[in-house]
Amino acid sequence: MDQDPIGHKPEHPPGQSVWPIGFAIGIACVLVGLVISWWVVAIGGAIALVFGALWLSDLSGHPILPAASAEPEPAPGPSGARHEAPPETSRTGFLAFATLGLGGLIGALITIPPLFLAMIPPFLKQSKKPVDLGPLSLYPLNEWRIVTFRLVAGEGPVWNRTAYIRYNGPVKGGVPSFTIISNRCAHLGCPVQPLGLVQQSQSKDISSVTHEPVKVTPVIAVSGFSCPCHGGAYDTEGNRTAGPPVRALDRFQFSIVKGRLVLGKMYSVAHVDGTGAEAEIHTHKLFGPGQHVDGWEQIFYPFTPPS
Amino acid sequence: MSSLEERRRLFARYKQDVKTRGKSFFPGAMFHDTVMSLVVVVIIIVLAIVWYETTGDTPNGDKSVSDAGLLGKVYDDKADPGTFSFVPRPDWYFYFLFYLLRIFKWPDSVILGTVGIPTVCIILLLAVPFFDTRTERRLSRRPVAVVASILVVISMGVLTWKGATATESLASENIKKVPEWVKKNNLPPEAIPGAKLFAQVGCLNCHSYLGTGGGYAGAPDLSSIGSKGLGVKFQIDHLKCPSCVNPGSPMPSFSALGDKRLRQLAIFLEASKGGK
Amino acid sequence: MAATRPPVSGRQKVEAVVLYPLDWLEERSGLVGAVKYFLFRKVPGDVNWFQTLGSATLTAFIVQAITGVVLAMYYKPDPNSAYESIRHITNDVTLGWLVRGMHRWGASLFIILMFFHMARVFLFGAYKYPRELNWIIGVLLLILGMLEGFTGYLLPWDQTAYWATVVGINLNGTGPIVGPFLSYILRGGSEIGPDTLARYYSIHMLIIPGAIIGLIVLHLYLVIRLGVTSPPWSKSAAGAPWIEEEDEEGPARKGLVQPAPRGGAAK
Repeated sequence: MDQDPIGHKPEHPPGQSVWPIGFAIGIACVLVGLVISWWVVAIGGAIALVFGALWLSDLSGHPILPAASAEPEPAPGPSGARHEAPPETSRTGFLAFATLGLGGLIGALITIPPLFLAMIPPFLKQSKKPVDLGPLSLYPLNEWRIVTFRLVAGEGPVWNRTAYIRYNGPVKGGVPSFTIISNRCAHLGCPVQPLGLVQQSQSKDISSVTHEPVKVTPVIAVSGFSCPCHGGAYDTEGNRTAGPPVRALDRFQFSIVKGRLVLGKMYSVAHVDGTGAEAEIHTHKLFGPGQHVDGWEQIFYPFTPPS
Repeated sequence: MSSLEERRRLFARYKQDVKTRGKSFFPGAMFHDTVMSLVVVVIIIVLAIVWYETTGDTPNGDKSVSDAGLLGKVYDDKADPGTFSFVPRPDWYFYFLFYLLRIFKWPDSVILGTVGIPTVCIILLLAVPFFDTRTERRLSRRPVAVVASILVVISMGVLTWKGATATESLASENIKKVPEWVKKNNLPPEAIPGAKLFAQVGCLNCHSYLGTGGGYAGAPDLSSIGSKGLGVKFQIDHLKCPSCVNPGSPMPSFSALGDKRLRQLAIFLEASKGGK
Repeated sequence: MAATRPPVSGRQKVEAVVLYPLDWLEERSGLVGAVKYFLFRKVPGDVNWFQTLGSATLTAFIVQAITGVVLAMYYKPDPNSAYESIRHITNDVTLGWLVRGMHRWGASLFIILMFFHMARVFLFGAYKYPRELNWIIGVLLLILGMLEGFTGYLLPWDQTAYWATVVGINLNGTGPIVGPFLSYILRGGSEIGPDTLARYYSIHMLIIPGAIIGLIVLHLYLVIRLGVTSPPWSKSAAGAPWIEEEDEEGPARKGLVQPAPRGGAAK
């Protein structure tokens, strides 16, 4: 007789069940949690797993719990509650199910911690400490400086980064205004070159308050920036003027602490209206190069990892 | 399209043919494999030797970074993430992708060149056995396959070649070319300050001049711009406001250079009447 | 008195010495039989030189594996010492320059040969039934090979390596929806740092070679099981004619063959 390996042909198909709804709720929580918070993801994942298992058990004809809104059962007989006749709960059936289940559990225990280690830490603790860039006297009014600094202290030249910095004078209210533009192209991250005359001979090497090297090089007659990789070009505010870059150059927040310029977080810029101290910067959370922050193509990048 | 039954029968016929008329893999066919493998290993070793031996040495005996041999540099300078004067390039087998990125130079189309086209190509490759289920093997009866493979080879080859020969511009390298320009274009002495400015200020990121520079479409080659007789005043006006003179031009304004430097540049441009 | 035995020749003695260990091994594992099967299996009589490209690719991969393992004994995967270890290998270590050169050019040859092999298989029509799975495995091997080249390119940690990797990772980042997350995972964070080099080292040394070796084993298994094709232009190609209508031997030949049973289960 044609029997499946567990040895039982269900007498009637599984009834209606609420498990799929619970599973769907779990998946929805996971997706929402990806945007809101990792705790919601974890809770959603647990819900999805529990309801998914219950649903699967239903479909296989061996429900772990009787379906809450099952269709009216045929007269159960004196022993009562269970949906199906039990002759199939043979030992082999149970053992087969248990082996597969335990195997799955072992597989999960072995693979999930390493997968977690590979995938999750890149998204944690991404914020960087402020970087000291030297006294304000290094940044005369309306002059551009190429400044190379260490984004993270104590780990060596792997953290070298460069920014183009211009002091614009005070904004209304007396607060100094700086234009601090990252030199990583907004197309694919190549190092952007200044369209001007770099004065290498007047380069100064100073030490920051955290004893990291900072190199300040003047560059004169700056008309903008351009990228040698694929032909991107920018104006002096970092707006894209030509080529494939998808937005303006990223900028750094800054603060003035005890007469020294201090670099803060990096952020992305859609475009900049106006120039210098009066510039209106349309800011965004930090996006990677090549990712649109506005326009119709921003639908491709609905989620940004923390930075 | 052949039915599955037909294909199974064909395979059974194949197996029978091999059983009755086939030859033993060893030593016949395996000998060919061994010879070819030896050729491969010898080529690898020869390339390694040429790469190393043709590269020059530094005074202390180490291999030099700048004195590259026939097969390119043995190593470059140490990575400097804060550099602003380096032009990235991938390994040669990615040149076709690299050039694709230069072709898709409009911001809206970037995603096509980065992931769109390569993903479509991979899917097409994987699906080949599923949209060609004919049993026919002879090339003379497979026109689509032959044409497709020729087109693929030509396009990959052209893209790789253009990627390999793509020019770039680095101020520190360009400035060394000025004496060469003076010779080739017969530049008078008063054009030299302008030539030096031209090399450093970034013009070559987009424009090309006597074989150097970005050479991007839309930025004309300037080797013989002087022979158009536009005049120094025109050049200065254009440099100050390119889009005023040329509506729609994406070229930035270079008025930040100041009148003196603009004049030097203009003199240089007007003196560039084409190389010999 | 013991029965007399015929004198044993020298050749027979040598044969016995060689065969005894092989018989020992065969009885306990079946491996000798497997190797014999591989060596003496039948292939079509008209196999062509173009069909050596596959084994040539395998040879290039073996060169990469061996030179890579040896280089790993001298290479230091930390941004502050990687470049120096490469200089050390190239300039100071005896024959280090040769092993490093072989690894670098072996990579280029490996990729070229994969493309040539793929073109040969395509033009021979050797991706058709029943070799579709093998073609898919081959495409996956091509992609893995190019990723291996991409990850290996960062390891010298010189300017070329660093910046090509910056662009490569950002290229991944432009993929819709998952792109930004993929680039974070590749980089080990929001910026390329020490974690990136360690990650690329692990991917280049362990993950991708493991996957490549597994897929190659599968690929070779399928080649041995399904057989090697004849060149399509050959007059005596195995399995020809390809179109049943052109089969002159007709029913006599067709009758030789039963269609393969569905699902493979015995009745």
